[in-house]
Amino acid sequence: MGTLVLEQAWMATTGSAVYEEMSERASEQALAALVEQYAPTLYRVAYSVLRQAEDAEDAVQETFLRVMKHRETLGEVRDHRVWLIRIVWNIVLDRKRRAKTRPETDDVAELARVLPAEGLSAEDRAAAAQHHAHVLAMVETLPAKEKEVLELSAFEELSSVEIAEVLEITESSVRSRLFRARNLMAEKMGRARQDRGGSNR
Amino acid sequence: MRENEVKVGEMGEAEATLRLIAKLPAPEGLVGRVQSGLRAAPKDARVLDWPVVAESSHSWLNGWVRGAAAAAIVCLVAGGAWQISLRMVPAGGGNATAAPVRVRPAGGFSSAGAMRTPDTLNGPVLKQEQKKKAEDVKKKGGSEKKSAEAGPR
Repeated sequence: MGTLVLEQAWMATTGSAVYEEMSERASEQALAALVEQYAPTLYRVAYSVLRQAEDAEDAVQETFLRVMKHRETLGEVRDHRVWLIRIVWNIVLDRKRRAKTRPETDDVAELARVLPAEGLSAEDRAAAAQHHAHVLAMVETLPAKEKEVLELSAFEELSSVEIAEVLEITESSVRSRLFRARNLMAEKMGRARQDRGGSNR
Repeated sequence: MRENEVKVGEMGEAEATLRLIAKLPAPEGLVGRVQSGLRAAPKDARVLDWPVVAESSHSWLNGWVRGAAAAAIVCLVAGGAWQISLRMVPAGGGNATAAPVRVRPAGGFSSAGAMRTPDTLNGPVLKQEQKKKAEDVKKKGGSEKKSAEAGPR
């Protein structure tokens, strides 16, 4: 009788172990599939904020490490893409907050390295990098809320509803912030152009 | 109208830059590096990680053997503990109580053999005694008064 009880206990233990092993393998495979599918998108999101290849890659790695820690909740997630973008977005914002402000010259060097340069002379390439770095420096001066919406709206694959989900705000807030951001940017660019025109004269 | 066009152009310029950066491709080998990073990351330890046993026709035998082995281990541990408890002789209590040795700090001032004697405490005073004393004082005072009155005559 005692042996039978013991045997049953052992059977139950090994049965649950098999189930655990199987679910573990399944979650590992699901995670691998997520990395395969979304790592490049997450990298682009991270790079657009951090503008440093190594930092962006670290942010992607951290995102998936966080996902791995909570892999048992993967099944509950409705839209993995938006969910992952929200995680990486929070990571990069946190990193950027802690990092020192990058000088514009750093951006120029980095952009000259990464921007497509087909059919451009070295001089044109340098000028384009300088122009884009200048524009990005201006974007940095926008209020945080407007800047975040503007940066995310640059991703064509993200709709305003998805941007709202990433930022955890309403869609109408996304629209109004985007409107304000565009107006502010236009004003800043116009002023900068006038200043340049004045100094050239 | 013209001003509006310029505004749209400037705005488009900023968004064009952001779009250009958003479209930059991810570096080659990114997926592989992330995958290997995840494999190297420590996974949360499980409380019970029993090895998976393949189902066989002798599984009941296997279970019985395991149960017997577990029971034998329990018996061994319990027997050992019993043996140890039998051999242990309780130490008898000492008659003398050891006073803690005061360790004098190296250097500094010494007490030069001076001993502190505590002040003697005043014992409790009984109420009756107090009353008696008060009456004595009163009587004494009364007789003194009488003699004083009789004195000058």
